[in-house]
Amino acid sequence: MEEKTLEEIIARYDSPTGKVLGILGDIQRSEGYIPRETLEMLSVKIDVRISQLYSIVTFYSFFSLKPVGEHVITICMGTACHVRGAVGVLDALESLLDIHGDTTEDGKFSVTTKDNKFTVEIARCFGACSMAPVLQIDGTLYGYANPDTLPAILEQYGWRAA
Amino acid sequence: MTQGKTGTELAEPPKKPVTVSINGNAYRADEGECLLTVAERVKIPIPHFCFEQSLEPYGACRLCMVGVVHHGKTVMETACTLRAKEGLTVLTDTPDIVKYRTILFELYLAEAPKSAVVKEMAARYGVTKTRFLRRVDTGDPLGGACILCGLCVRVCNEIMGAGAINFINRGPYTVVNTPFTEPSRDCYGCGACAAVCPTHAVSLEDRGGERILHSWSETKVPLSQCVSCGKYFAPAALEKSVLSRIEPPLRDDLEGLCPACRAKKLAKKEILAATGGDPGDA
Repeated sequence: MEEKTLEEIIARYDSPTGKVLGILGDIQRSEGYIPRETLEMLSVKIDVRISQLYSIVTFYSFFSLKPVGEHVITICMGTACHVRGAVGVLDALESLLDIHGDTTEDGKFSVTTKDNKFTVEIARCFGACSMAPVLQIDGTLYGYANPDTLPAILEQYGWRAA
Repeated sequence: MTQGKTGTELAEPPKKPVTVSINGNAYRADEGECLLTVAERVKIPIPHFCFEQSLEPYGACRLCMVGVVHHGKTVMETACTLRAKEGLTVLTDTPDIVKYRTILFELYLAEAPKSAVVKEMAARYGVTKTRFLRRVDTGDPLGGACILCGLCVRVCNEIMGAGAINFINRGPYTVVNTPFTEPSRDCYGCGACAAVCPTHAVSLEDRGGERILHSWSETKVPLSQCVSCGKYFAPAALEKSVLSRIEPPLRDDLEGLCPACRAKKLAKKEILAATGGDPGDA
């Protein structure tokens, strides 16, 4: 991220406290992930230790330190979605996109397809439990997801059956 | 967790004497004094991990739980965040507390299966086995002994002001380490983290002119060498920061000297000054 862009983001938050999450959120939204250089630059600019920022970024599943694909698919694995079959949806998605992921040692799940088109991540509850199981693609929420409806949804994002 | 207790109580302890009751016996204490300290003074054992005198108690380890009797009802509260006041009545070994403590020790045995301190303390309270899945990680830089109490993080941030380490990740994946698990540039190498660690999980070593912090991604910091005896005695960055807080005439006397040579030099100087000798070649 350009230094100027980062400064613009920082300038949006004038409160002396509680601005870190807002700034990190804006970086995540703008870049799709949090580049290490940006995090280090931010540490200097707002005078917060890099260890503190790193702690926050690794705590929330919303933040990612790894670059992501063109479209980000987030599957909810919250309690309601889990019991309504989110695991099956994830399995189907993995086979459709030909990816296989595991929870990494940091407890996060993030897999990107070889062509860099899709990244699949896991979230804990969007607060849309009434439509469980739900998944989100680039910010758009899809409820009542199941393995059969997945291909039609993915096709809207340029996916084609192999 | 601390139920709104503020730091001001600890910063300016009021000296009003009060009587508190622990397990049916009355003891004198200062009003506002930390109950865990009172119990330690009168030799009533209350197990604890995360209590550190130089830091504000924060009840993280939950082990010092005691029953507070209030209007005939007993509620559980951590002794470290409990403040002495007139008539405070606590019980340290009620069946509830014993049950609670047993489960907690089982959890600690699972969280830090390699910690001798945890094993020894748990055994003292009759807990030698755990029903929980033990956290086994052969590559753990903290040797399977960290209980995540956070004392090292707090001492590094709040007392040393270095902020070299912090918690990373969340839930069962939580660890303490340097950002990106790479050698830290913020670490002074003071070793305060190792000094406060209740389970001796932090590993560091002085090798040659370097201090190597094995637990913190092998961070290496240079040590200062004593100009007089040649011994390596303190991390260079720490020495510099301490010296910067001392006034110049004394600072010039102390600079570059290890504690032993420092004492020798100052003593010699004092004696020579008292006997009218020449301090010049002290």
